[in-house]
Amino acid sequence: MPAYLIRRLAGTVPVLLLISLLVFLLIHAAPGDPTLMLLGEETNTAEVARAKERWGLDRPLHVQYFKFLVAAAGGDFGKSFKYAEPVIGVIKTRLPATIELAVFSIIIATLLAIPLGVWAGSKPNSWIDNLGTTCGLFGISMPSFWLAIMLILLLAGVLNILPTSGRSTYGIAGPERTGFYLFDSLLQRNWPAVWDMLTHVFMPALALGVNMLGILMRVTRSAVLEVMNEEYVVTARAKGLAEKNVVWRHVASNALIPVITVVGLELGTLLSGSIIVETVFAWPGSGSLLITALNARDYPLVTGVVMTYTMAFVAINLIIDGLYAVVDPRIRY
Amino acid sequence: MNPRHQPTLVALLAALALLAGPTANTHAQTRVSVGVTETIETHNPYGDSVSLLYGIWSEITGPFCTYSYSKGDFEGRLAERWKVENPTTWIFSLSKNYKFNDGSPVTAADVVHSIMTRVIKDPQSKQKASVAPSIVNVEAIDKFTVRVITDKPTAPLLSLLCDRLIVTSKAAFDKYGREAADKEHMMGGGPYRLKELIPGQRLVIAKRPDHPVAKKNPRAPDEVVYRVMRETEQRVTALLNDEVQIAQFIPPHLRQRVEKSPNLKITPVDSVEIMFLAMQPKPPFDKKEVRQAVCHAINRDQIVATLLEGFASRLDGPLGPGQYGYDPNLKPKMNYDPERAKKLLAQAGYPNGVDVELQTPVGRYTLDKQLTEAMIPMLNAAGFRARLLTPEWATLWASVQKGTIPFYYMGRGSVQDPSATLHQYFHTGETPRIGYSNPKLDELLDKEQQEFDPKKRRQYLSQAMSILTEDAPACFMWRHKLLWGLNNRVEYQPLPDARIYAIDMKVRR
Repeated sequence: MPAYLIRRLAGTVPVLLLISLLVFLLIHAAPGDPTLMLLGEETNTAEVARAKERWGLDRPLHVQYFKFLVAAAGGDFGKSFKYAEPVIGVIKTRLPATIELAVFSIIIATLLAIPLGVWAGSKPNSWIDNLGTTCGLFGISMPSFWLAIMLILLLAGVLNILPTSGRSTYGIAGPERTGFYLFDSLLQRNWPAVWDMLTHVFMPALALGVNMLGILMRVTRSAVLEVMNEEYVVTARAKGLAEKNVVWRHVASNALIPVITVVGLELGTLLSGSIIVETVFAWPGSGSLLITALNARDYPLVTGVVMTYTMAFVAINLIIDGLYAVVDPRIRY
Repeated sequence: MNPRHQPTLVALLAALALLAGPTANTHAQTRVSVGVTETIETHNPYGDSVSLLYGIWSEITGPFCTYSYSKGDFEGRLAERWKVENPTTWIFSLSKNYKFNDGSPVTAADVVHSIMTRVIKDPQSKQKASVAPSIVNVEAIDKFTVRVITDKPTAPLLSLLCDRLIVTSKAAFDKYGREAADKEHMMGGGPYRLKELIPGQRLVIAKRPDHPVAKKNPRAPDEVVYRVMRETEQRVTALLNDEVQIAQFIPPHLRQRVEKSPNLKITPVDSVEIMFLAMQPKPPFDKKEVRQAVCHAINRDQIVATLLEGFASRLDGPLGPGQYGYDPNLKPKMNYDPERAKKLLAQAGYPNGVDVELQTPVGRYTLDKQLTEAMIPMLNAAGFRARLLTPEWATLWASVQKGTIPFYYMGRGSVQDPSATLHQYFHTGETPRIGYSNPKLDELLDKEQQEFDPKKRRQYLSQAMSILTEDAPACFMWRHKLLWGLNNRVEYQPLPDARIYAIDMKVRR
């Protein structure tokens, strides 16, 4: 296992290098100029020239890139043009909100998708299978930005049971410690803040998780369908086990491997999906930060956020690989 | 019900009530929440250059002085009064009643520090060009008097300083350093103090009841929460749900949803943002007749009446009523006249029409794409072969600033005094946005900037604007009426720019 881990970690270096080069080139190639976006409407040529010098934009592109690489190797993505603070610090303040949102999305998606998928797969062509398949298709084909607006209209507008946006109501949460509102509120035993957080996170988490829900449901269903024909399932039935036990103990547990793979892959999609959902719900996470950075052409911040997402994606895949061994004892590295 | 279950039920209901607590109205004091469209991203008051934030920070720290739209003139606040010592030297006398949160007075040293250290010299400042483009030195004459020196006569200096100059504490800066002073020890001399700022989510200010300005309006809210809400649906829904009591910029097509509620109303206000079509003097727009043909081809009245449902005021020149230097008798007026447009095109050497590409931002201004889409058939009817392009805003704006777009629809905000705008877009060599050059216009614009007699300055401005309208490097279209959604519990007259002053609000208790 250690040798495998080292091999995998070494393999991530070229991936990160390639991504950094691509992001750096693409953001610099995109039309637009950070000095013109950030210095206000009344700026003049002299101001622009000074800002370019200050931000190092007057140097050749390859010099800028190598400077960035050297600094990034030491864990420094430079200073944000817009915030005038180290990029790492800016991302750190916003990342907990995105992680919290992503975790709730996964919880919603898995809690609904796995039982529905197992149920649908164990009773093919039944009404529950048709319902599950329809739900899956609905989840996959629903654009998250549209669903987000519809949820606001329905749950906040017509039913008026949830807040329209934001991460918390002013004046309820206690002092921030970790940046994770739920965790902080639980630590402080601030139950109104816990409830407040849950009411705020539900809509964005649902909007973000519905796509994952659809995919997970379909993958679980097909995995269950496949496992249902295995000999050990027939044996379990022949032994006289109740159908419930057969399905949940023998079929579902063996159908989990592809499901875990998809959860891993979809985590990356969740991160990218959060960019839109966070913007619609004014959720102050790294996704909305990326939009702000892109609009301002804040090169260091854009690169920093994308690199953070890339590293998160690589780390998630490593963890998923590790989980295979836990779920399937036959797998050894 | 089984009596044994009653205590359980009571406990359950109590727990539910506790959990549901936050959704109930627990305001001990008056609080107004405002849904705003701009993002609030940094603790550094000098780190952004947008109207909304100038207003909020000005309220926390002053403001230095303010423009009264009702009076059409500037009014003193922290700077009680001012005089022009000579064309490049202004003297500002500070009020002795303005005190920072810690009780120390706001002095001339703080003003010098704010302009010289924070606005001009600090590399993190994004406000130098907007607040102090011509200021070369600021010095304290005594504890409450400041001398401001400019590199050239700057008659419109007040329009740059009022509602924009943010005066922060020099002592806090020296003691804690820039970052800690801004984040943890924000000192201001205004009627409100900063209470909470969560970047990207909200900013909260709390009233200082002992402040001389706050005492004048005891019904001003004790707390104001500015919530970032970029989506229009979100702002409207939040207003209907009483999550916010004021919502900025309701689009005309959503106003009926607000008006249906008996607790809400829509308040329209003429924006000071002027909308125009800019034309670079490159073929075919190098010919005045072509530019004039564009202006005569667009039926502004029809667009205002239909697409904008009347929520805009037609412009017959760069300015409208309420803006400094507005001249109702300005001539010529570029009325809708497609036949004349055709003749002008023929005169310019294009009897069979000419290809043009109009570029517009999408979603930046009210119905920008729809309005420009309506202009295309009008241009075509006058003999142009027009095509609409819709680049992303950052791309369009960078290209406009570099002068590489020949024909575009654009807005220019914060035009209380038109001097900066006219120089920026039309003075030779100032910026390449239009690339227009006219020595006569340059002379008039230079004169108005150096003329401290308001009557003469207005005359110069009027002459300059007449040349612009006739020579048509831009067709001036309209000023939008901005629609604000207001809860009836709050009395507030929105301002024509995007500034919001909580001290002007009145809450019904």
